[in-house]
Amino acid sequence: MLLSNLLEYMGIERNRLHMSWVSSAEATKFIDVVTEVTEAVRALGPNKYFIKDQAKVA
Amino acid sequence: MLTYIDEIRAASARLLQEGAVEMVVGFRQGSQPMMNEPCLIRRPEDVDTLVWDSHCGINLTNYLTNRKEKIAVIAKGCDARNIVTHIIENKIEREQLYILGVPCQGMVDKRQIAMRVAGEITEVGESDTEIRVQTTRGEIQTFAKAEVLQQNCTLCTHRNPVLYDALIAEAVSEQTVDRYTDVAAIEAMTIGERQQYFQDLFAPCIRCYACRNACPLCYCPTCFVDEAQPQWVGKGQDAVDVMTFHFLRAYHCAGRCTDCGACERACPVGINMRVLTKKLEKDCVNNFGWEAGLSPDVRPALDTFNLDDPDKLIK
Amino acid sequence: MSDWEPKIVAFLCNWCSYGAADLAGVSRLQYPPNIRVIRIPCTGRMSPKFALSALRNGADGVWVSG
Repeated sequence: MLLSNLLEYMGIERNRLHMSWVSSAEATKFIDVVTEVTEAVRALGPNKYFIKDQAKVA
Repeated sequence: MLTYIDEIRAASARLLQEGAVEMVVGFRQGSQPMMNEPCLIRRPEDVDTLVWDSHCGINLTNYLTNRKEKIAVIAKGCDARNIVTHIIENKIEREQLYILGVPCQGMVDKRQIAMRVAGEITEVGESDTEIRVQTTRGEIQTFAKAEVLQQNCTLCTHRNPVLYDALIAEAVSEQTVDRYTDVAAIEAMTIGERQQYFQDLFAPCIRCYACRNACPLCYCPTCFVDEAQPQWVGKGQDAVDVMTFHFLRAYHCAGRCTDCGACERACPVGINMRVLTKKLEKDCVNNFGWEAGLSPDVRPALDTFNLDDPDKLIK
Repeated sequence: MSDWEPKIVAFLCNWCSYGAADLAGVSRLQYPPNIRVIRIPCTGRMSPKFALSALRNGADGVWVSG
Protein backbone atom coordinates (compact mmCIF):
# COMPACT_ATOMS: atom_id res chain seq x y z
CA MET A 1 0.00 0.00 0.00
CA LEU A 2 2.84 2.36 0.83
CA LEU A 3 4.33 1.42 -2.53
CA SER A 4 1.29 2.35 -4.51
CA ASN A 5 0.90 5.59 -2.56
CA LEU A 6 4.50 6.51 -3.26
CA LEU A 7 4.17 5.61 -6.93
CA GLU A 8 1.21 7.89 -7.23
CA TYR A 9 3.04 10.57 -5.29
CA MET A 10 5.85 10.41 -7.83
CA GLY A 11 3.48 10.71 -10.71
CA ILE A 12 2.68 7.17 -11.74
CA GLU A 13 -1.04 6.64 -11.99
CA ARG A 14 -2.42 4.52 -9.19
CA ASN A 15 -4.21 2.13 -11.51
CA ARG A 16 -0.97 0.94 -13.06
CA LEU A 17 -0.28 -1.22 -10.04
CA HIS A 18 -2.84 -3.77 -8.98
CA MET A 19 -2.85 -6.30 -6.20
CA SER A 20 -5.29 -9.10 -5.68
CA TRP A 21 -5.84 -12.33 -3.87
CA VAL A 22 -7.13 -15.25 -5.89
CA SER A 23 -7.27 -18.86 -4.73
CA SER A 24 -6.18 -21.58 -7.14
CA ALA A 25 -9.78 -22.80 -7.25
CA GLU A 26 -11.18 -19.42 -8.29
CA ALA A 27 -10.74 -19.48 -12.06
CA THR A 28 -13.77 -17.25 -12.53
CA LYS A 29 -12.51 -14.69 -10.06
CA PHE A 30 -9.17 -14.81 -11.85
CA ILE A 31 -10.86 -13.95 -15.12
CA ASP A 32 -12.85 -11.16 -13.50
CA VAL A 33 -9.70 -9.64 -12.09
CA VAL A 34 -7.77 -9.97 -15.35
CA THR A 35 -10.57 -8.19 -17.15
CA GLU A 36 -10.78 -5.50 -14.51
CA VAL A 37 -7.03 -4.89 -14.50
CA THR A 38 -6.89 -4.82 -18.28
CA GLU A 39 -9.73 -2.33 -18.51
CA ALA A 40 -8.24 -0.11 -15.81
CA VAL A 41 -4.89 0.02 -17.59
CA ARG A 42 -6.52 0.43 -21.00
CA ALA A 43 -8.35 3.47 -19.63
CA LEU A 44 -5.05 5.01 -18.58
CA GLY A 45 -3.44 4.63 -21.97
CA PRO A 46 0.19 3.82 -22.61
CA ASN A 47 2.79 4.30 -19.90
CA LYS A 48 5.08 7.01 -21.20
CA TYR A 49 6.44 8.62 -18.09
CA PHE A 50 8.53 5.97 -16.46
CA ILE A 51 9.99 4.06 -19.40
CA LYS A 52 13.71 3.97 -19.74
CA ASP A 53 14.87 4.59 -23.28
CA GLN A 54 16.71 1.53 -24.44
CA ALA A 55 19.57 1.74 -26.85
CA LYS A 56 18.20 0.53 -30.15
CA VAL A 57 19.90 -2.61 -31.28
CA ALA A 58 20.01 -3.05 -35.03
CA MET B 1 23.82 23.97 24.69
CA LEU B 2 27.38 25.26 24.44
CA THR B 3 28.07 23.95 27.91
CA TYR B 4 27.09 20.41 26.96
CA ILE B 5 30.59 19.67 25.80
CA ASP B 6 32.12 19.74 29.29
CA GLU B 7 29.65 17.15 30.44
CA ILE B 8 30.17 15.08 27.27
CA ARG B 9 33.93 15.08 27.74
CA ALA B 10 33.69 14.28 31.45
CA ALA B 11 31.30 11.41 30.89
CA SER B 12 33.35 10.04 27.99
CA ALA B 13 36.58 10.19 29.97
CA ARG B 14 34.94 8.49 32.92
CA LEU B 15 33.50 5.68 30.81
CA LEU B 16 36.82 5.06 29.07
CA GLN B 17 38.77 5.17 32.31
CA GLU B 18 36.43 2.77 34.04
CA GLY B 19 36.66 0.45 31.07
CA ALA B 20 32.90 0.48 30.76
CA VAL B 21 33.28 1.09 27.04
CA GLU B 22 36.08 0.55 24.55
CA MET B 23 35.35 3.61 22.50
CA VAL B 24 33.29 6.73 22.30
CA VAL B 25 31.64 7.84 19.08
CA GLY B 26 31.38 11.61 18.90
CA PHE B 27 32.27 14.67 16.89
CA ARG B 28 35.50 16.54 16.47
CA GLN B 29 36.34 19.78 14.73
CA GLY B 30 36.27 19.30 10.98
CA SER B 31 38.87 20.56 8.56
CA GLN B 32 36.46 23.27 7.42
CA PRO B 33 34.21 25.53 9.46
CA MET B 34 30.67 24.21 10.02
CA MET B 35 31.76 20.70 9.06
CA ASN B 36 32.25 18.75 12.26
CA GLU B 37 33.32 15.23 11.56
CA PRO B 38 32.57 12.03 13.42
CA CYS B 39 35.42 10.53 15.41
CA LEU B 40 36.07 7.41 17.43
CA ILE B 41 37.85 8.06 20.74
CA ARG B 42 39.58 5.11 22.37
CA ARG B 43 41.83 6.72 24.99
CA PRO B 44 40.62 8.89 27.89
CA GLU B 45 43.32 11.47 27.20
CA ASP B 46 41.85 12.11 23.75
CA VAL B 47 38.43 13.23 24.91
CA ASP B 48 39.38 16.88 24.57
CA THR B 49 39.15 16.55 20.81
CA LEU B 50 35.40 16.03 21.17
CA VAL B 51 33.24 19.03 20.34
CA TRP B 52 29.56 19.81 20.49
CA ASP B 53 27.93 22.76 18.73
CA SER B 54 25.32 23.45 16.08
CA HIS B 55 27.20 21.67 13.32
CA CYS B 56 26.88 18.10 14.56
CA GLY B 57 24.15 17.07 12.16
CA ILE B 58 25.71 13.83 10.97
CA ASN B 59 23.91 10.76 12.25
CA LEU B 60 26.33 8.79 14.41
CA THR B 61 24.27 5.62 14.24
CA ASN B 62 26.12 4.91 10.99
CA TYR B 63 29.21 4.09 13.01
CA LEU B 64 27.52 1.45 15.14
CA THR B 65 26.40 -1.00 12.46
CA ASN B 66 27.62 -4.54 13.18
CA ARG B 67 30.13 -3.36 15.81
CA LYS B 68 31.19 -5.96 18.33
CA GLU B 69 32.77 -3.88 21.10
CA LYS B 70 31.18 -1.85 23.86
CA ILE B 71 30.56 1.65 22.65
CA ALA B 72 29.46 4.92 24.13
CA VAL B 73 27.64 7.03 21.60
CA ILE B 74 26.56 10.63 21.75
CA ALA B 75 22.99 10.74 20.57
CA LYS B 76 20.63 13.53 19.64
CA GLY B 77 16.92 12.83 19.40
CA CYS B 78 17.11 11.54 15.84
CA ASP B 79 20.29 9.55 16.51
CA ALA B 80 18.61 7.86 19.46
CA ARG B 81 15.64 6.88 17.30
CA ASN B 82 17.98 5.43 14.70
CA ILE B 83 19.82 3.54 17.42
CA VAL B 84 16.49 2.04 18.46
CA THR B 85 15.92 1.01 14.84
CA HIS B 86 19.38 -0.55 14.78
CA ILE B 87 18.59 -2.52 17.93
CA ILE B 88 15.28 -3.72 16.46
CA GLU B 89 17.05 -4.78 13.28
CA ASN B 90 19.79 -6.61 15.21
CA LYS B 91 22.56 -4.40 13.93
CA ILE B 92 23.81 -3.85 17.46
CA GLU B 93 22.89 -5.11 20.92
CA ARG B 94 21.44 -2.80 23.52
CA GLU B 95 23.94 -4.18 26.04
CA GLN B 96 26.85 -3.02 23.91
CA LEU B 97 25.78 0.57 24.07
CA TYR B 98 26.11 3.35 26.54
CA ILE B 99 24.00 6.13 25.09
CA LEU B 100 24.88 9.67 26.11
CA GLY B 101 21.65 11.43 25.27
CA VAL B 102 21.87 15.04 24.17
CA PRO B 103 18.72 17.15 24.06
CA CYS B 104 18.92 18.95 20.75
CA GLN B 105 17.56 22.27 19.58
CA GLY B 106 18.34 21.74 15.95
CA MET B 107 21.42 21.74 13.80
CA VAL B 108 22.42 24.55 11.50
CA ASP B 109 22.12 24.20 7.74
CA LYS B 110 25.49 25.28 6.41
CA ARG B 111 24.09 25.72 2.92
CA GLN B 112 21.67 28.39 4.02
CA ILE B 113 24.43 30.35 5.68
CA ALA B 114 26.80 29.92 2.75
CA MET B 115 24.09 31.28 0.47
CA ARG B 116 23.59 34.37 2.58
CA VAL B 117 27.20 35.44 2.89
CA ALA B 118 29.55 36.72 0.23
CA GLY B 119 32.90 34.98 0.02
CA GLU B 120 34.06 31.88 1.77
CA ILE B 121 33.50 31.30 5.45
CA THR B 122 36.73 31.09 7.40
CA GLU B 123 35.57 31.08 10.97
CA VAL B 124 32.40 30.41 12.80
CA GLY B 125 31.29 30.96 16.35
CA GLU B 126 28.02 30.83 18.18
CA SER B 127 26.08 31.82 21.23
CA ASP B 128 22.93 30.17 22.47
CA THR B 129 20.76 31.88 19.91
CA GLU B 130 23.10 33.21 17.24
CA ILE B 131 25.62 32.03 14.70
CA ARG B 132 28.51 34.34 13.84
CA VAL B 133 30.54 33.78 10.70
CA GLN B 134 33.63 35.47 9.35
CA THR B 135 34.37 35.38 5.64
CA THR B 136 37.47 35.64 3.49
CA ARG B 137 36.53 39.27 2.90
CA GLY B 138 36.89 39.97 6.58
CA GLU B 139 33.21 40.64 7.11
CA ILE B 140 31.46 39.34 10.17
CA GLN B 141 27.82 38.43 9.95
CA THR B 142 25.47 37.05 12.53
CA PHE B 143 22.33 34.99 12.03
CA ALA B 144 19.62 33.94 14.42
CA LYS B 145 19.96 30.19 14.80
CA ALA B 146 16.25 29.65 14.44
CA GLU B 147 16.40 31.06 10.91
CA VAL B 148 19.18 28.86 9.59
CA LEU B 149 18.26 25.48 11.03
CA GLN B 150 18.05 22.41 8.84
CA GLN B 151 14.49 22.06 7.63
CA ASN B 152 14.03 18.71 9.30
CA CYS B 153 15.15 20.24 12.61
CA THR B 154 12.55 22.97 12.41
CA LEU B 155 9.94 20.21 11.99
CA CYS B 156 11.39 17.90 14.63
CA THR B 157 9.00 16.52 17.22
CA HIS B 158 11.49 14.31 19.04
CA ARG B 159 14.32 16.57 20.08
CA ASN B 160 15.01 14.63 23.25
CA PRO B 161 16.56 11.19 22.95
CA VAL B 162 14.00 8.42 23.34
CA LEU B 163 16.53 5.95 24.73
CA TYR B 164 19.58 6.82 26.79
CA ASP B 165 21.72 5.74 29.71
CA ALA B 166 22.60 9.25 30.76
CA LEU B 167 21.19 12.58 29.70
CA ILE B 168 23.84 15.24 29.26
CA ALA B 169 21.55 18.13 30.13
CA GLU B 170 17.97 18.82 31.01
CA ALA B 171 15.42 17.84 28.41
CA VAL B 172 14.30 20.60 26.08
CA SER B 173 10.68 21.30 25.32
CA GLU B 174 9.27 19.48 22.29
CA GLN B 175 7.75 21.38 19.41
CA THR B 176 4.27 20.85 18.09
CA VAL B 177 4.38 21.48 14.37
CA ASP B 178 2.61 20.21 11.31
CA ARG B 179 5.32 18.04 9.87
CA TYR B 180 3.77 17.39 6.51
CA THR B 181 2.90 20.69 4.87
CA ASP B 182 5.35 20.13 2.01
CA VAL B 183 4.09 16.59 1.45
CA ALA B 184 0.50 17.81 1.42
CA ALA B 185 1.43 20.48 -1.13
CA ILE B 186 2.80 17.84 -3.49
CA GLU B 187 -0.19 15.57 -2.91
CA ALA B 188 -2.45 18.42 -3.94
CA MET B 189 -0.79 18.69 -7.36
CA THR B 190 -2.17 17.00 -10.44
CA ILE B 191 -0.39 13.93 -11.70
CA GLY B 192 1.32 15.90 -14.47
CA GLU B 193 2.55 18.54 -12.05
CA ARG B 194 3.93 15.86 -9.80
CA GLN B 195 5.80 14.23 -12.67
CA GLN B 196 7.30 17.57 -13.52
CA TYR B 197 8.06 18.35 -9.87
CA PHE B 198 10.05 15.17 -9.38
CA GLN B 199 11.79 15.45 -12.71
CA ASP B 200 12.97 18.92 -11.74
CA LEU B 201 13.81 17.84 -8.21
CA PHE B 202 16.11 15.04 -9.29
CA ALA B 203 17.51 16.66 -12.42
CA PRO B 204 20.71 17.86 -10.68
CA CYS B 205 21.42 14.45 -9.09
CA ILE B 206 24.89 13.21 -9.97
CA ARG B 207 24.38 9.73 -8.51
CA CYS B 208 27.22 10.07 -6.00
CA TYR B 209 25.23 8.06 -3.44
CA ALA B 210 26.26 10.42 -0.63
CA CYS B 211 22.65 10.25 0.60
CA ARG B 212 22.92 6.49 0.80
CA ASN B 213 26.25 6.57 2.59
CA ALA B 214 25.11 9.14 5.12
CA CYS B 215 21.89 7.29 5.84
CA PRO B 216 21.98 5.13 8.98
CA LEU B 217 19.36 2.83 7.44
CA CYS B 218 21.38 2.07 4.30
CA TYR B 219 23.63 -0.64 5.65
CA CYS B 220 22.99 -3.40 3.09
CA PRO B 221 26.25 -5.14 2.18
CA THR B 222 25.32 -4.80 -1.47
CA CYS B 223 22.96 -2.02 -2.37
CA PHE B 224 20.45 -2.72 -5.14
CA VAL B 225 22.06 -0.03 -7.28
CA ASP B 226 25.35 -1.93 -7.22
CA GLU B 227 23.83 -5.23 -8.22
CA ALA B 228 24.66 -6.13 -11.78
CA GLN B 229 22.79 -9.38 -12.21
CA PRO B 230 20.03 -8.51 -12.59
CA GLN B 231 20.70 -4.85 -12.95
CA TRP B 232 17.72 -3.17 -11.35
CA VAL B 233 18.73 0.32 -12.24
CA GLY B 234 21.10 1.80 -14.79
CA LYS B 235 24.18 3.56 -13.53
CA GLY B 236 24.06 6.72 -15.58
CA GLN B 237 22.26 9.98 -15.15
CA ASP B 238 19.25 8.95 -17.17
CA ALA B 239 16.22 10.64 -15.60
CA VAL B 240 14.32 7.39 -15.13
CA ASP B 241 17.33 5.67 -13.56
CA VAL B 242 17.84 8.55 -11.16
CA MET B 243 14.20 8.48 -10.24
CA THR B 244 14.21 4.71 -9.78
CA PHE B 245 17.19 5.00 -7.48
CA HIS B 246 15.61 7.67 -5.31
CA PHE B 247 12.28 5.92 -5.31
CA LEU B 248 13.66 2.58 -4.21
CA ARG B 249 16.08 4.06 -1.72
CA ALA B 250 13.23 5.95 -0.11
CA TYR B 251 11.01 2.89 -0.20
CA HIS B 252 13.67 0.81 1.57
CA CYS B 253 13.42 3.33 4.39
CA ALA B 254 9.66 2.98 4.69
CA GLY B 255 8.65 2.72 8.32
CA ARG B 256 12.26 3.14 9.39
CA CYS B 257 13.18 6.69 8.47
CA THR B 258 13.35 9.10 11.39
CA ASP B 259 13.83 12.15 9.20
CA CYS B 260 17.26 12.85 10.66
CA GLY B 261 18.10 14.81 7.51
CA ALA B 262 21.45 13.08 6.92
CA CYS B 263 20.64 12.43 3.26
CA GLU B 264 19.78 16.00 2.43
CA ARG B 265 22.69 17.31 4.48
CA ALA B 266 25.13 15.06 2.62
CA CYS B 267 23.84 15.88 -0.84
CA PRO B 268 26.43 17.93 -2.73
CA VAL B 269 23.79 19.46 -5.00
CA GLY B 270 21.21 20.10 -2.31
CA ILE B 271 18.38 17.84 -3.43
CA ASN B 272 15.61 17.58 -0.88
CA MET B 273 14.98 13.86 -1.29
CA ARG B 274 13.30 13.92 2.12
CA VAL B 275 9.98 14.68 0.44
CA LEU B 276 9.89 10.99 -0.51
CA THR B 277 10.76 9.56 2.89
CA LYS B 278 8.43 12.01 4.57
CA LYS B 279 5.56 10.88 2.38
CA LEU B 280 6.19 7.30 3.52
CA GLU B 281 6.46 8.49 7.10
CA LYS B 282 3.17 10.30 6.80
CA ASP B 283 1.45 7.24 5.34
CA CYS B 284 2.86 5.09 8.13
CA VAL B 285 1.49 7.43 10.75
CA ASN B 286 -1.90 7.71 9.08
CA ASN B 287 -2.41 4.06 8.20
CA PHE B 288 -0.60 2.17 10.90
CA GLY B 289 -0.14 4.75 13.65
CA TRP B 290 3.54 4.02 13.46
CA GLU B 291 6.47 6.30 14.09
CA ALA B 292 9.91 4.79 13.66
CA GLY B 293 12.37 4.30 16.47
CA LEU B 294 10.38 5.17 19.54
CA SER B 295 10.81 1.94 21.47
CA PRO B 296 13.02 -1.14 21.01
CA ASP B 297 10.26 -3.35 22.43
CA VAL B 298 7.63 -2.72 19.77
CA ARG B 299 7.81 -4.53 16.46
CA PRO B 300 7.63 -2.20 13.45
CA ALA B 301 4.35 -1.76 11.62
CA LEU B 302 5.69 -3.25 8.42
CA ASP B 303 6.65 -6.58 9.96
CA THR B 304 3.51 -7.24 11.92
CA PHE B 305 0.08 -8.11 10.63
CA ASN B 306 -2.91 -6.52 12.20
CA LEU B 307 -6.51 -7.27 11.34
CA ASP B 308 -7.16 -3.55 11.27
CA ASP B 309 -4.52 -2.90 8.63
CA PRO B 310 -6.02 -1.12 5.63
CA ASP B 311 -6.61 -3.56 2.76
CA LYS B 312 -8.75 -1.62 0.31
CA LEU B 313 -6.01 -1.97 -2.23
CA ILE B 314 -6.33 -5.73 -2.54
CA LYS B 315 -9.08 -7.00 -4.78
CA MET C 1 -3.45 4.57 -31.51
CA SER C 2 -6.78 2.79 -31.80
CA ASP C 3 -5.12 -0.60 -32.09
CA TRP C 4 -3.10 -0.07 -28.94
CA GLU C 5 -3.44 -2.84 -26.40
CA PRO C 6 -2.14 -2.51 -22.87
CA LYS C 7 0.79 -4.68 -21.82
CA ILE C 8 0.38 -5.87 -18.28
CA VAL C 9 2.98 -7.82 -16.39
CA ALA C 10 1.29 -10.22 -13.98
CA PHE C 11 3.27 -11.59 -11.06
CA LEU C 12 1.34 -14.65 -9.99
CA CYS C 13 1.92 -16.81 -6.96
CA ASN C 14 2.65 -20.39 -7.93
CA TRP C 15 0.09 -21.78 -5.48
CA CYS C 16 -2.74 -19.31 -5.82
CA SER C 17 -3.30 -17.22 -8.91
CA TYR C 18 -1.01 -19.26 -11.11
CA GLY C 19 -3.14 -22.25 -10.21
CA ALA C 20 -6.24 -20.20 -10.95
CA ALA C 21 -4.83 -19.22 -14.35
CA ASP C 22 -4.12 -22.86 -15.03
CA LEU C 23 -7.63 -23.83 -13.99
CA ALA C 24 -9.08 -21.10 -16.20
CA GLY C 25 -7.16 -22.55 -19.13
CA VAL C 26 -8.17 -26.13 -18.38
CA SER C 27 -11.79 -24.99 -18.10
CA ARG C 28 -11.54 -23.26 -21.51
CA LEU C 29 -12.54 -19.91 -20.04
CA GLN C 30 -11.81 -16.82 -22.12
CA TYR C 31 -9.93 -13.85 -20.69
CA PRO C 32 -8.12 -10.79 -22.11
CA PRO C 33 -4.76 -11.72 -23.63
CA ASN C 34 -3.03 -8.57 -22.36
CA ILE C 35 -1.28 -10.12 -19.41
CA ARG C 36 2.25 -11.49 -19.51
CA VAL C 37 2.50 -13.92 -16.64
CA ILE C 38 5.58 -14.27 -14.48
CA ARG C 39 5.33 -17.10 -12.02
CA ILE C 40 6.79 -16.40 -8.61
CA PRO C 41 7.18 -19.08 -5.94
CA CYS C 42 5.05 -17.12 -3.51
CA THR C 43 3.81 -13.55 -3.34
CA GLY C 44 6.42 -13.12 -0.63
CA ARG C 45 9.00 -13.28 -3.41
CA MET C 46 7.57 -10.06 -4.82
CA SER C 47 9.71 -6.98 -4.48
CA PRO C 48 9.09 -3.34 -5.36
CA LYS C 49 12.09 -3.68 -7.65
CA PHE C 50 10.10 -6.09 -9.83
CA ALA C 51 7.22 -3.70 -10.24
CA LEU C 52 9.50 -0.80 -11.09
CA SER C 53 11.58 -2.93 -13.46
CA ALA C 54 8.44 -3.90 -15.32
CA LEU C 55 7.33 -0.29 -15.66
CA ARG C 56 10.79 0.88 -16.65
CA ASN C 57 10.97 -1.71 -19.36
CA GLY C 58 7.75 -0.64 -20.96
CA ALA C 59 4.91 -2.34 -19.17
CA ASP C 60 1.72 -0.31 -19.03
CA GLY C 61 0.56 -1.97 -15.86
CA VAL C 62 1.69 -4.34 -13.14
CA TRP C 63 -0.52 -6.84 -11.42
CA VAL C 64 0.53 -8.74 -8.35
CA SER C 65 -1.69 -11.56 -7.26
CA GLY C 66 -1.42 -14.00 -4.39
